[in-house]
Amino acid sequence: MPADETQTQVSFDRATIDLDALQRAVYAVADIMSVDIAAEGDRFMCTLYSREREADLGALAHRLRTEAIDQTLRLRLAKETGPLRNLIFALAFSKTGLTEDEPQ
Amino acid sequence: MSTSLRLSREASLVTPGSWQLLPLRFHRLDARSILLTNLVGEHVFLPEDTFLAVVAGTCGDQSILAELRSKHFIQLPGERLPAELLAIKLRTRLRRLPDSTGLHMFVVTLRCEHTCRYCQVSRQASAKTEYDMSIETASRALALAFRSPSPHLKIEFQGGEPLLNFPLVRWIVTQAKQLNQEHGKQLAFVIATNLALLDGEILDFCREEDIYFSTSLDGPEDLHNTNRRRPGQDSWQKTVAGIKLVQERLGSDHVSALMTTTEASLQRPAEIIDTYAELGLRHVFLRPISPYGFALRRRSGAGYDVERWLAFYEAGLDYIIDLNRRGVPMVETYTSIVAKKMFTNNDPGYVDLSSPAGIGLGALVYNYDGDVYASDEGRMLAEMQDQTFRLGNVQDSSYADIMLSEQLLRPLEESLTLSAPMCNTCAFEPYCGADPVYHHATAGDFVGHKAMSNFCKRNMGVFTTMLTRARDDKFTRDLFWRWSQ
Repeated sequence: MPADETQTQVSFDRATIDLDALQRAVYAVADIMSVDIAAEGDRFMCTLYSREREADLGALAHRLRTEAIDQTLRLRLAKETGPLRNLIFALAFSKTGLTEDEPQ
Repeated sequence: MSTSLRLSREASLVTPGSWQLLPLRFHRLDARSILLTNLVGEHVFLPEDTFLAVVAGTCGDQSILAELRSKHFIQLPGERLPAELLAIKLRTRLRRLPDSTGLHMFVVTLRCEHTCRYCQVSRQASAKTEYDMSIETASRALALAFRSPSPHLKIEFQGGEPLLNFPLVRWIVTQAKQLNQEHGKQLAFVIATNLALLDGEILDFCREEDIYFSTSLDGPEDLHNTNRRRPGQDSWQKTVAGIKLVQERLGSDHVSALMTTTEASLQRPAEIIDTYAELGLRHVFLRPISPYGFALRRRSGAGYDVERWLAFYEAGLDYIIDLNRRGVPMVETYTSIVAKKMFTNNDPGYVDLSSPAGIGLGALVYNYDGDVYASDEGRMLAEMQDQTFRLGNVQDSSYADIMLSEQLLRPLEESLTLSAPMCNTCAFEPYCGADPVYHHATAGDFVGHKAMSNFCKRNMGVFTTMLTRARDDKFTRDLFWRWSQ
């Protein structure tokens, strides 16, 4: 089978997407494709390899782009709310007797 | 509108850009909604543009902002109460943690007179008493069980068929009650049995000692008897007769049943549920076949994928909702467990939907030979020569040896959903759990790759089904809420 029937390329502007978010997106879509990421100049070049022999390559590209945007937002939310999250966990586990050195 | 009411409404108006986001996760539920969940599983549905406006600080819809404030998704500058309330709710959800382990399963024999297609364990012929637990082993196992800090101890008798070694069941119950005079725990007993060997003497003892029965009922007679074979091909008749006897002699709440989905069940959810309803059973557990042990054999009836099971579950759940709408009370057990996690902070501590995982912390299994396993599934793997979840043996392992063993701590630590890839950002995380045994059995490590995990696919399917039905129909939403109480 010719390689171009199961693979396609998508590129992302490195100024607008974090590598971490892109890698998370690739991880999340691993059930339907594997992705090779290469940094070239100001872009991340992604080669998408479908796990199916007859794949809708346009749909694969769309799925990765959507996932990359969602993962970018997730990272942003995690960064923005991280200190509060830590505070909530600290409050939740204080005075529970779960740690040995904790004053009773 | 009175002046004071208008003033109070005006005072609660939220100015665009003034709020601070609290920790939240999101999931594209369908074309209509983005699902938002917070740390404790409270949830809202928003259209995508509204969600993006909330994140950007530009949303001006006061009713949505009020809902987001009340459910702790946003707070105003200087507010402390939302974080404190979230902390209290989080602590409430995790309150069972210091009180491990509540469920202790005693495999009193491997003998069984059934030869079920999907049986996960290596049952032995009825005459082979060398596969019975001894009194000495049971005594040591009981001592370990009473070392658990949990104020509630449930002792579940498993097999094989535990009624084939009923003298030991009787001994353990008596001994446990005697030991409990010193410990003062809340004790409960359950026999997981096919009920075929139930007789008057057993019933008298169980009534006297307030023992519960959990049995297997796969649905209509032909389906059940195809799956659950025994000499005479009368498993269904025996089980149904047993259920009626227990209901009559001990009360209808003293017997429950669960079914195992085989390929032959997939087209028959309504008939299966009707069989339960006709017997006066008010709970049905639409349970997929286990991916462990001997259940993986080709002739076990496991030849279906997650999508087909989900279609079966959805059809079954819709049928149950419809029964309730018509005034026939019926609960789908797994949905009710998830509903508790979805609509309350009273986490039920269900072993498969806990993080840290429920293995060891939620349940311990004492095999007939004294080996201790972190879960029943861990015991099934051992039947296939995989000893990963064997924590020790009652003869030479102390409670500390078992609970602090590397075999228990490593899978617990590695599989935490708050840190596992994809789980840590998944909107369904508060409803879900870590299942290191499943992922070890199917993917070769304790975490698995969630994008390819059938555990993940199945549970996300259940959560999505529940949430969309609750969003779209008030009766269903109220029903799930009632199940959660």
